[in-house]
Amino acid sequence: MNRLLPLTTALVLSLGLPQVAAAQNNGHGNSGHDKRDRGSERDPQDRDDRGNDRSERRAERRDDNRNVRVEARREDRQERKGDRDRHERRTERADDRRVVIAGEDGRPVILLRRNRDRGLINGCPPGLARKDNGCLPPGQARRLATPTRLDSLWNARNDEFSYRYEDGYLYRRDTRGSLLGYIPVLGGALSRGNPWPAQYDYQPVPTYLTNYYGLNDRSAYRYADGTVYGMDPKTQAITQVVALLTGQNPTVGQPMPAGYDIYNVPSAYRDQYVDTASRQFRYNDGYVYQVDPKTRLVQAVIQLLT
Amino acid sequence: MTRYLRWALAPLAVLSLAACGGDGGKSDSTTEPSSLTLAATLQDDEAFGTLKQVLTNAGLIEVLEGTGPYTVFAPADAAFTTAGSDTDFTAEAMRAPAAALLRAHIVPGALTRADIGAAIDSGGTGTIQMRTMADTLLSFTRDGDALVVTAPDGARAHLTGSEALVRNGVVQPIDALLIRPTPVD
Repeated sequence: MNRLLPLTTALVLSLGLPQVAAAQNNGHGNSGHDKRDRGSERDPQDRDDRGNDRSERRAERRDDNRNVRVEARREDRQERKGDRDRHERRTERADDRRVVIAGEDGRPVILLRRNRDRGLINGCPPGLARKDNGCLPPGQARRLATPTRLDSLWNARNDEFSYRYEDGYLYRRDTRGSLLGYIPVLGGALSRGNPWPAQYDYQPVPTYLTNYYGLNDRSAYRYADGTVYGMDPKTQAITQVVALLTGQNPTVGQPMPAGYDIYNVPSAYRDQYVDTASRQFRYNDGYVYQVDPKTRLVQAVIQLLT
Repeated sequence: MTRYLRWALAPLAVLSLAACGGDGGKSDSTTEPSSLTLAATLQDDEAFGTLKQVLTNAGLIEVLEGTGPYTVFAPADAAFTTAGSDTDFTAEAMRAPAAALLRAHIVPGALTRADIGAAIDSGGTGTIQMRTMADTLLSFTRDGDALVVTAPDGARAHLTGSEALVRNGVVQPIDALLIRPTPVD
């Protein structure tokens, strides 16, 4: 019996360790399905992710106030390490492509949400006084009540309100047709050359995404309702639309949202992230999500940097 | 003799180079992506003249020049003039609707027809869906040998022509807009 105990222990450990490792990977969002990836998980870059400088963390806390948490990853940090030759840096970058977003509690934290309410401006639009029927003059109210082909573009969100576009803004109405508020929209009030609407809320673009999209000055970009805008720092006018995002950011342990049924990993990463019976990979907004095919739960959120 | 052979082969070499350069970034799912961007690929293809104007009007051309990757379901010119449609998405007053329309035609990542077909075939009777940049869901089915994409309002389009795999995504030509030409009741 005493001889059997060590053998049994060894057997249990040999069977159990991979599961423990997998659980840790889930917790940190990494699948670790090849040796290189496991190596990168413990490399200095990974520590960088969890140990960003204080100013970055202060920025994160400010973002917390807006229900946003930004976990920054600094690609430039690799270059500041100074003495290494180019070959070494290239090697590091290749290895670092698979880096996990991890918060202080070890769970991934992400980032941008698509929430139209963030930008909802309550009250009457510019130039319109409050009337008995809401904010609109009767003629405009009648026009907004007439169905148009474009309604399906604006009413994608399934809520109790209806939306109609007019002169740069999306108007939210209740079931009685009363106007509840208005939202600046892409291509309307949010167009190139227009100043940012003073009351319209936005989120700073997370450092990772500024790196991913190759943007230089983080402060010159704003995110709102699935869109990254470039801004003129002096005039605060919109200069360009940089990127479109779905705004779907599930974290590890959450179910993958509907709408990711097809393998869509970018061409450059298809050899690295291949669907199997036990895991699927889906690209979204600069990240690759590893998903359990049976439960649809997100197992890992993987950063991609070009 | 060698000199004559060299002259004789020269036109063939020129033709083969021209064939490579004139491909316009189009490729099938078994080939490597071209070095072109989505924007350049659409601009190089005369079939997407109206789409280019709509993209420019909406201020979204630069998005398709950027990192991406995106898959663009690209309506051919005829799709913008379907019977019953009197909406001019190239008009200045239609910039915002144009942007909303385009967002509903773009999904994240690189979506090849092989990927779509494989997902349909392995999905049983379930609906195969992809989320768009308008936060809507596109559904995918087969119609014989063709692939069909359906918008939330019921608008349907067939994937036509050849897909183009490019540096920052995929262009998937379609034969109709993913919005119904008449208001939804």
